[in-house]
Amino acid sequence: MTEATLIRRACQGDGQAIRALYERYAPRVYAVVRRIAGDDDLAQDYAQEAWIRAIRALPTFRGDARFSTWLHRIAVNSALQALRKTETRQKREGPMPETIAVSPESSDVLLGDRLERALDQLPVRMRKVLILHDVEGYTHDEIGELLGVAPGTSKSQLFKARGKMRTLLQALTAPNGQEEVEAWSI
Amino acid sequence: MEHLTKETLARLVDERPNPEQREHLSSCTVCALELRGLRRQTEALGSLPDLRPPPGDWVGLEARLMSEGLVDGGSRSTGFSVLFRTGWMQAAAAVILFLGGTSFGAAMSGDLQAASDDTVDARVAGVPQSVEDAAEAVYSAEQAYQLALVQYGQIERRGRTRNYGELLGRAATLDALLAATQEAVRISPSDPFFNGLLVNTLAEREDMLRQISSTRDGGWF
Repeated sequence: MTEATLIRRACQGDGQAIRALYERYAPRVYAVVRRIAGDDDLAQDYAQEAWIRAIRALPTFRGDARFSTWLHRIAVNSALQALRKTETRQKREGPMPETIAVSPESSDVLLGDRLERALDQLPVRMRKVLILHDVEGYTHDEIGELLGVAPGTSKSQLFKARGKMRTLLQALTAPNGQEEVEAWSI
Repeated sequence: MEHLTKETLARLVDERPNPEQREHLSSCTVCALELRGLRRQTEALGSLPDLRPPPGDWVGLEARLMSEGLVDGGSRSTGFSVLFRTGWMQAAAAVILFLGGTSFGAAMSGDLQAASDDTVDARVAGVPQSVEDAAEAVYSAEQAYQLALVQYGQIERRGRTRNYGELLGRAATLDALLAATQEAVRISPSDPFFNGLLVNTLAEREDMLRQISSTRDGGWF
């Protein structure tokens, strides 16, 4: 079944079509919201919200952009908005630790896991910009629009985030982790 | 010699160094290596893979889609619609039902077993080789079961007494659905949709076997 057919059927509430779209794009949606959320539990809520918004908005999808791009944008917007709400709530409820505890080291931890863990430990503002720019490939103009900041602010946050990320990765390097030593040591 | 700041080096991942910075980088190994590390880091971030959602993600989403009326509750639903409305969602219960249902089924009369086997054979003829085939088989089996449910409901609405044979027919379609779902789980053991459907089909079957048993005890035979 073509994507256009799936979309048309999903618009009409066809559960099979929605499921097929979910199967196709869930990893992409989950990846971006997970990284923005920096937390597994939040990520699941954010991903669900993103899908609900996307399914609701399906009738407005005109096919000007690729469906994956359209869906991705909804996921990013939805996660950023949800994160803002979470941050506001956390501020009201009291300070949260800046970093998330790192699980115990093991020799077989992959480089990707280290990157993900370091991302989770970045302060939220830095994380958002770093993910949008370096992981998702957004421009500073697009990031400025998404986050409601000037492109210059996005740039400045990005450079700080890269430096902080580098420090975090070096700290996460296992003493005998040859892979990490090769990849990250100076 | 004063090193370049981390922020400056991070900027140089995207931008060209000015003459002063270039000169520094050509003579300072520490800064040159740091810049190389930052470039690798940026490349690695750009190559991060997609992430699979945790198991159960779809189940939660489906429930929300249904509660918000975004999924048509009709016959072309995702398969959970009929069975999940029964409320049998507990994983622990699933295990018990699986064990209980299987042994109960084994103890059933030859009539039911024969009817079920025939239907199962018919429905699952040609063992699916891919997840898509398995999903299609599950979908067809669910359609047949839903049809049986509708027919059974019509019989009841017409005020006719429940008939043991009709119950058996309905049970046979449910067994076909169970067989198709089990096959789907065998092909894709971690699929939350198939697993969820299996849990609910087993629960539904258990309930039906109880009905059949009480009908028989009620004097039909």
